[in-house]
Amino acid sequence: MSAPDSPKRQTANAPRKPQAGASTHKISIKDRLNGWAQQHQLVAVETLMRLLTKPLGSIMTWLVIAISLTLPGAMWMTLDNLSQLSNRFQASGSMSVYLKTAVQNDQAQQMLSRIESMDGVADVRFISADEALAEFRASSGLGEALDLLPENPLPGVIVVEPELALPQQDVIALADTLRSESRVDSVELDTAWLDRLHALLALSERIVWVMGALLALGILLVVGNTIRLSIAARVDEIRVTKLVGATNAWVRRPFLYTGLWFGMVGGLVSWILLAIGWALVSGPVEDLAALYGSEYRLLPLSAGAALVLLLGAMLLGWLGAWWSVVRHLHRIEP
Amino acid sequence: MPMVRFDGVSKSYPGGKEALSKVSFELARGEFAFLTGHSGAGKSTLLKLMLQMERPSKGQVFVDGDCVNTMKSSQVPFLRRKVGVVFQNHQLLFDRTVYDNVAMPLLIAGYQPAEAARRVRAALDSVGLLGFERRNPIELSGGEQQRVGIARAVVNKPQLLLADEPTGNLDPELSEEIMKLFLRFQQVGVTVLIATHDIALIERMGHRRLILDHGTLHDSGTLHDSGPRAGFERGDHVRT
Repeated sequence: MSAPDSPKRQTANAPRKPQAGASTHKISIKDRLNGWAQQHQLVAVETLMRLLTKPLGSIMTWLVIAISLTLPGAMWMTLDNLSQLSNRFQASGSMSVYLKTAVQNDQAQQMLSRIESMDGVADVRFISADEALAEFRASSGLGEALDLLPENPLPGVIVVEPELALPQQDVIALADTLRSESRVDSVELDTAWLDRLHALLALSERIVWVMGALLALGILLVVGNTIRLSIAARVDEIRVTKLVGATNAWVRRPFLYTGLWFGMVGGLVSWILLAIGWALVSGPVEDLAALYGSEYRLLPLSAGAALVLLLGAMLLGWLGAWWSVVRHLHRIEP
Repeated sequence: MPMVRFDGVSKSYPGGKEALSKVSFELARGEFAFLTGHSGAGKSTLLKLMLQMERPSKGQVFVDGDCVNTMKSSQVPFLRRKVGVVFQNHQLLFDRTVYDNVAMPLLIAGYQPAEAARRVRAALDSVGLLGFERRNPIELSGGEQQRVGIARAVVNKPQLLLADEPTGNLDPELSEEIMKLFLRFQQVGVTVLIATHDIALIERMGHRRLILDHGTLHDSGTLHDSGPRAGFERGDHVRT
């Protein structure tokens, strides 16, 4: 914004006779600042009232802004939830401990009880070489071919389930400990799918940003266009105000506030839409989680994200108005 | 320092039409003058030059000692606050009350609402429209609308008051009333320049006359000595 609008000093030596009822023409700096602040307040309230008392003209703009915000907002909320969920998965990756083929079943049983007593281990299960072969025979359909083998090629496996709350680095440390056991051939941590999930989440996040940027551009255009119409509807007023000494800042002000309010109302409506969406989805999600034995709950948009959404919307509205005002106002001269 | 000084001002529009050619004159502070001439003689153009609504093609325009044609656009609003303007079509806004119309220059200049209210009432009182604050200008007669326009022009106590055909749509009685109103502002020190083609009225009232004829200026002379008036001497040889 430019400097406060203020009357320029009058030449003191003008030969003027005293005028009835006239007091000094000068205004102190404090009064100017007060006047300026009051002017802002007045314009802010006036433009807001204009929007709220005549909503029909701008309701489409609000809705377009709200929907443009709700789409990335909802995707953001979904990603937020997925990454929370994947953080839980990280710790729950089970590991398969392959024993050397020479290890006997009773030795394996000893190991089993030792591993079970280790820190961070929730559950262990032993699959002997015979069981593994039987399982493989059943699932692969290679029954007779397997009979040709001179001996069972499969090792015994101990499946270790770490505790749910165990951080990932502790899970990896546990795997390393088990790998160093003399009877252990190899340990496989089942994390590949998690890596894939994370890559997918990162990709989705990028997509949300790109979509958000496009929709933000859409908001700029919509607000800009609405402000353009509103400028066109007030050409006479702008001419008259410029004629009686309005600065460009003064003329811009109501339009910039209008843009700001568009953004704010759009942001609030988008909050409502997101809350409705959350209420509709969170019930089924809880049911689904319950089926998996989890107490997982769908998180609503965080307070921080909601604030960013609203402030971002206001900024976009203001920028859209600014863009329109800069393009159209200078053409209107008395 | 004169209130207004034109120094060899020419104005031509794209297409070659010359609205003013080599116009020079001065208006002393507190002077009252008429600007006359046939339609299209350049009266409106001359007034617009003083508000930087137009810029001269040649020459310089000074208002209150400031050169208007080279003034930065950021300074123009402050120039316009020193100059009250009345138009034939009065340029009132019909989407707001008489009060809001008249108060507009004060709000723009940053007056406190209480002070603005006092001044608006004083201005409406001076044009005889006290009590009309809450009315919409569209309900008023032509003469009343014109007086609202005058109230708006004087509410910020301008040093210079310009009027472009202020009585154009009014009957002779109303016209005279409006002119007397302008005289009262001159009596309190305001410099007044009124563009009109109402010759009969001007003759009755006397005062200095600036006559525009196809863009050149002839000065009828003035009670004040306001320096050389080149426009008169150069008047004959500029038309092409």
